[in-house]
Amino acid sequence: MDEEETAGFSEPCSQCSEVNWRISDEGRFYCHSCHTAIERTRDVVDLDFSQGSSRISNVSRGPRTKKQDHGVSWSWCEGFQFILQQQAEALIRLGVTSDFRDSTLWPLWTLYLQRSGQAFNDAPSRPSNQGAKSDSDGEEACQFYSVGGSSVPESGCDWSDWSGSFSPWRRRSHSEVMTMCKTLALIHVCVLWNRECVTLSHLLKLVRGGHVPFLRASELLPDRMKFVGKKALMFNVKSFPSHRSVLLDAQHLVHFLQLPVFPPISREHPLHLMTLTLCYLMDANLPDQLHQWVCRVEDLSQQGSASSTLKDKGSAPFPPPYDLQAAALIIVTMKLLFGLDDHTEWDLSNNLEDQSADVFSLRRWYRIVHCALLRAQNREEELTARRHWKPTVPMARTDKERHLVLKRKRISEQVQSCFHRLSSPPCNLVTSDGPSIFSFCWGDGASSDGPSLHHQTLTHTHTHPVYWHRPLQPCNVRRCTGGHFLSDEASLPRSFLWLLQLFSFLLRVSTAELHQETLKLERRVFGCRTPSQGGTDALQEPQRKKKVIDLHNKSL
Amino acid sequence: MMDDLENEFGLKEEREGDDDSSDDNLSKGGRKSHLPLVNLKTAESSKKSDFHESTRICLERIRKAMLHHRWQEAAKYMVSFSQVLEETNRSKAPQTIELVWRISTEILHHLPNSTMDDYNIIYERMKHSGVRHYLTICLEKSFHLMLHGELENARRELSAGESWRYGKESASQHHNFTLIHAYRSLLDYIIWCDKKSLQSTHPNSEDDQSMHRYFKQAAVNLREVLKKPGVWDPFILCYIEMLEFYDDHEEALKILNNYAYDHSFPPNPNAHVYLYQYLKRHNAPEKKLIKVLKILQVLVPSHELMLEYISLLLQSERTNAVQKALEVALAMLDFKCWKRNLDVWRHLKAIIQQMQTQENCQEAVVAVMDQRKDWWSAFHFTSMHATQDVKDNPELFEIKSSLAKVLYPDQTLKYTAGS
Repeated sequence: MDEEETAGFSEPCSQCSEVNWRISDEGRFYCHSCHTAIERTRDVVDLDFSQGSSRISNVSRGPRTKKQDHGVSWSWCEGFQFILQQQAEALIRLGVTSDFRDSTLWPLWTLYLQRSGQAFNDAPSRPSNQGAKSDSDGEEACQFYSVGGSSVPESGCDWSDWSGSFSPWRRRSHSEVMTMCKTLALIHVCVLWNRECVTLSHLLKLVRGGHVPFLRASELLPDRMKFVGKKALMFNVKSFPSHRSVLLDAQHLVHFLQLPVFPPISREHPLHLMTLTLCYLMDANLPDQLHQWVCRVEDLSQQGSASSTLKDKGSAPFPPPYDLQAAALIIVTMKLLFGLDDHTEWDLSNNLEDQSADVFSLRRWYRIVHCALLRAQNREEELTARRHWKPTVPMARTDKERHLVLKRKRISEQVQSCFHRLSSPPCNLVTSDGPSIFSFCWGDGASSDGPSLHHQTLTHTHTHPVYWHRPLQPCNVRRCTGGHFLSDEASLPRSFLWLLQLFSFLLRVSTAELHQETLKLERRVFGCRTPSQGGTDALQEPQRKKKVIDLHNKSL
Repeated sequence: MMDDLENEFGLKEEREGDDDSSDDNLSKGGRKSHLPLVNLKTAESSKKSDFHESTRICLERIRKAMLHHRWQEAAKYMVSFSQVLEETNRSKAPQTIELVWRISTEILHHLPNSTMDDYNIIYERMKHSGVRHYLTICLEKSFHLMLHGELENARRELSAGESWRYGKESASQHHNFTLIHAYRSLLDYIIWCDKKSLQSTHPNSEDDQSMHRYFKQAAVNLREVLKKPGVWDPFILCYIEMLEFYDDHEEALKILNNYAYDHSFPPNPNAHVYLYQYLKRHNAPEKKLIKVLKILQVLVPSHELMLEYISLLLQSERTNAVQKALEVALAMLDFKCWKRNLDVWRHLKAIIQQMQTQENCQEAVVAVMDQRKDWWSAFHFTSMHATQDVKDNPELFEIKSSLAKVLYPDQTLKYTAGS
């Protein structure tokens, strides 16, 4: 049957140069020798308009509705398993140890399936298909469960005893169904558990850059795997998850799986807070001398949180977001040293007697970094503009919807191919810069973003710094989604706002999230209570509060 | 500051028990007064997906590229923008389709390697995407084909559009239908012309019949179209030509009169021109011609047919004809375009000569010149005009200087040579 339909098409395959075409189940042409699929489909036979035909596609030969293969109905967890596998492999290719997949990811995944009643139960919530799967997909699936040894939680893991506490009022109403966002949460939990050198912001950056598969996830699934109804739409997302939402999902997952306390991160580990601050200082082209001030601020915040009623970090079930905290530390340090109220920092730069290349000048730093930031933001915007969200084979809930969805896909593809032919040089999908944790490259090389300022010394800083702070507003902690930034933004000093934007670009998080983290840090450093917790703190009053800090004399 | 006010009102409850001597503006008795502050939650909650963000940024870049005439770059971004056509939320679908259609055609106009096939792809796909723009795109495509000489294809396209129906959508677009009928008839006329010229060289009864068929098809539509108020100049000319060929004078006159005199049609000087030309071709009596030109004169006093009007008036024997001719001629010369035209001045001279044979010539001239005499001297009869006319057109100078004395009997104008 295939021969007569492909008889008219005799172009050689681009990969293997043979003419051996078959038609797949979706109606797509593919080369039988090397299994490369091409864009040609059976439905569209004649694209010739010169005769003035008003109908472009002929009715395809063969029945319009196809019977489902093997009579198997796939469940969502099987689909997500494929996706998780691909995501793990991508991370392993980027340098993460394969141990994270074998001894952490698969056991946690099986635990999740068991807890949510999808598998490994006496009565799983969907009909068991173990017998029907005799093809290669089934074999692959079985392999996952056998690798890693601990496919059943009882054997030798210490996850059954969980001593951490979890704040109940932080729990959102989550359903047990997996989503694409939750795959990232699960990966993050595993990465953190294994102490791999990937922070959440870095993971999200890799996802955005396309180095970890996330968009158009339905393309990752094998051809035979077809979903109907709502399940079909689960795999193709329309947005990237935010840092905060992945974090919340990860916390919920940890609570749901009843995991014990995470292993602590040692001072030498790349994921440690101080190491991350070094990393971000380097990326932001700030002098290395700044690090000692950052350490002092961190010590202040440790003292502050030790005396507060906040829970001890060691007993929290889920470690806090160190990447956001590191960035917040740097921001607060800069604010302490330079003021960042639109006047002090520029006065300091003006008053610098020694303008040589060895002394750090904020103005010079701002100019260099701002240029690079604009260029990088432009590249990022171009990447966003040319990102493809829609999969090659669109998913639809019902057959009727499928027909419409396919029609729109055809229209879009034809417009796309028309312009692809016309634009020269032929444009390929823009790929982001390599999967590096760093956004900028400072140095003297030809491809660098600017001269490096890491070696410079800090001579001129605030002698008696007066620390400004926005007046706080009382709000209901339970219902607060941290959306105060929108109202505050207009009244923040521009230098401070720019610094927030710089770091939110470096980490690829939203400025609002970073601002909230900065506020939290300030609360810890200055030992204040939040307004809702009551307390006698002077910040309750609706005036600008200024606190005089004398960093130089503070004893550690 | 806004924040301070908010805090004041929010914390007012705590302070109620304390001194209220300072709280004159706040209500007593515990009623909270709320200022109508902007609800920021709505701004945050109308979140669009990152997919919309991508397409929005892409569109912004396309717009910038097009504004700066960077057409290759715009084409490059269109490759990514086309995914917006797969949007599942159909509320914005018509706008999206229109956006893609118009941007695509604009880019194709400016790219050097765009072919007819590319245009066809875009037009066909956009036409069949939704129903709202079907007819408009159909018209635009046929215009494009006509501009590129593919008249047969254009005609076929318009025929397809004529037979398209889609419930409410087609009912609301009757003006599009009118245009489609009109242009299809125009194309029928062009084909008829081709066949006619073929007929004259190689007479053939078969062609004669098909010619007649095309005429019939065109006539049916045009008759309906020309009933609707509008400006139908090219169409009416084609129709009249065809009717003249088949000697249907009654119909032709009816159409032309309707076009010129029906008040529901917008005022159109060309309508009177066409009627006049038709009547002249068919040797209508002078009275009728004068009647038609009279209205034209009111509409467009500077029309070139006014010269013929003046000649007709001079030939007629009506009592006030010469007076009228004088008015018409002077009205013509009010306009800059006729200022140095020899014909008009000659006609004026002939009028004056004819008037001088009658009595009351001077009063008549003064009466007509009254409204324009204060500015006419500067307009026509300065020394600068004199030197120019002497140099370029001596005959004009002679005529003008002789007429100057008649038009301005009391004044001595500076219109002399060598000053």
